Amino acid sequence: MPKNNKIYWFEGVTEKGTKALLNDENPKFNWLRPQRNRRILVVAIWIGIILVAMGSYWPTLKTNLSLSSGVDVIVYSVTAIFVILVVVGGYSLLRVSVRSIADAPDELLDERQIQVRDTSFRYAYYLMGYIVIALMLLMLFGPEVQMFQPEGNDGSYLVIATLFAFASMPSMVLAWREKDI
Amino acid sequence: MSRNPEDPVYNRIEAARLAMGLTRQELADKAGVHYQTIGYLEREEYSPSLVLALRISKVLDQEVSDLFSLSPIRKEK
Repeated sequence: MPKNNKIYWFEGVTEKGTKALLNDENPKFNWLRPQRNRRILVVAIWIGIILVAMGSYWPTLKTNLSLSSGVDVIVYSVTAIFVILVVVGGYSLLRVSVRSIADAPDELLDERQIQVRDTSFRYAYYLMGYIVIALMLLMLFGPEVQMFQPEGNDGSYLVIATLFAFASMPSMVLAWREKDI
Repeated sequence: MSRNPEDPVYNRIEAARLAMGLTRQELADKAGVHYQTIGYLEREEYSPSLVLALRISKVLDQEVSDLFSLSPIRKEK
């Protein structure tokens, strides 16, 4: 009788999925293994996160850039499609590139992988502290933003970008730092 | 990555593994770790816990003191 695929709800991974990544069962993702490629992926995701955050300032930005009403819709739509592809696709590839080690529970990892995962969380925690400080400075000195308002700058994009950065930071640290993963 | 990069643990895992005709994957499976971890150990970039050192010694049929050392080990060619 086949063993059930255990779901780790808290970590957001499955036993089979994580084991498949740890054991290289799908060779089509081997191009993600070199550190250089993982770092390119991290940079691409950061560009996506920054573009999502800039969505909060789109009304101010389009006024400053003096875009006509037709052009601004095109720029916004193209950028939105690019950002969705980079952020959603990039996040999936990021988890694959680090074999889901940043999200996996102890019982699926060996002692070195647990140590590497825990170190990545420590660095991610420091980095998120700096991001929170940067956000506070932006709120204090940047253009005014409000939440859920039909007109003006909408701060919800900033919130989405921050949440996404929180979710992906340990994997990004892991992808950036580790020589072999 | 090492537990303590300032105080590495040297080993002759690779020589003992090759002498037994095992691949990294086979040794990893028997020791209950990922094959990349065996690579890190053989390159002396990671120092194992006592439990893992004992497990590897058992698989490779060696005494822990023969396999691991705090001073550099002369590698056999």
